[in-house]
Amino acid sequence: MKKKTGSVFRELGYFASLGMSVALSIFLGLFLGLWLDKKFDTDPILMFIGLAMGIAAGFSNIIRAGKKGRKF
Amino acid sequence: MGHPYLILTSLFGLFGLDGWAAKNPHVTYMWLAMIVLIFFGWLGGKSISMVPKKAQNVFEVLISGLEDFMVTITGDEGRKSFPLVLTIFIFVLFGNLMGLVPAFFPPTANINTTLALAIIAVVWSHVIGIQLHGVKYIKHFLGPIPAMIPLFLPIEIIGHTARVLSLTFRLFGNMAGHELVTIILLTLGGMFLAPLPVMALGTFVALVQALVFFLLSTMYIAGAIEEAH
Repeated sequence: MKKKTGSVFRELGYFASLGMSVALSIFLGLFLGLWLDKKFDTDPILMFIGLAMGIAAGFSNIIRAGKKGRKF
Repeated sequence: MGHPYLILTSLFGLFGLDGWAAKNPHVTYMWLAMIVLIFFGWLGGKSISMVPKKAQNVFEVLISGLEDFMVTITGDEGRKSFPLVLTIFIFVLFGNLMGLVPAFFPPTANINTTLALAIIAVVWSHVIGIQLHGVKYIKHFLGPIPAMIPLFLPIEIIGHTARVLSLTFRLFGNMAGHELVTIILLTLGGMFLAPLPVMALGTFVALVQALVFFLLSTMYIAGAIEEAH
């Protein structure tokens, strides 16, 4: 990848969007777990699994951004 | 808190569609944006010549600048999806700027519009990935180790769904917030030009949000184009 004048904006836009995607991944996992709990009647278990999945998804976003950040 | 006065709603009131237009201002104003953009596209494409004139100059600078910008991110394979992403950019920019005109409602300040745009952008990035990699595109979702597929698959699916939501809520939140602040300042101190600074900020926000939407769509397309880890 070449370095150009646009790369500052590119990084800015990409990393500024990171926080939001982390938060939304966590909430998405949480609500998915809650919905599955209601469906299968297993009250707290799937909620915690979903929450853990959401947190893992959010962190995988951060890790991927870090890997990408080295390439810029 | 509703909009104090919308010109298209009273225009539709002439045909007896008052209640419907008041309930769905984003639809009517999206039609307006579509009409204006199609007109400009027709105007720009009407008389293409080798030596560009006024209107063609503007379009060429906008389009070729953004195309170069996109190709530096995605590489040459991304050139195919440039028309879609540029259309989204121009529509979002025009829709955002519409909110600065009095008696106009920005269509991007409604969550239905932004959700539709985000779904189109993200689904298109997966279409591009499947076109380029075929069945192997699923490797993007499976992680590095085969034994951990049951763990990685839901995580990746959650991450990709969060992309749609983050695109949706960012644009919707910015534009709806701008509308709300303008309306509140207008009702509180409209006589003293109180909303003027917010509207000046609004021009900046409109441009930045359109650019961010464009940039993130190209980022997702670039992520689909590159080889799986």
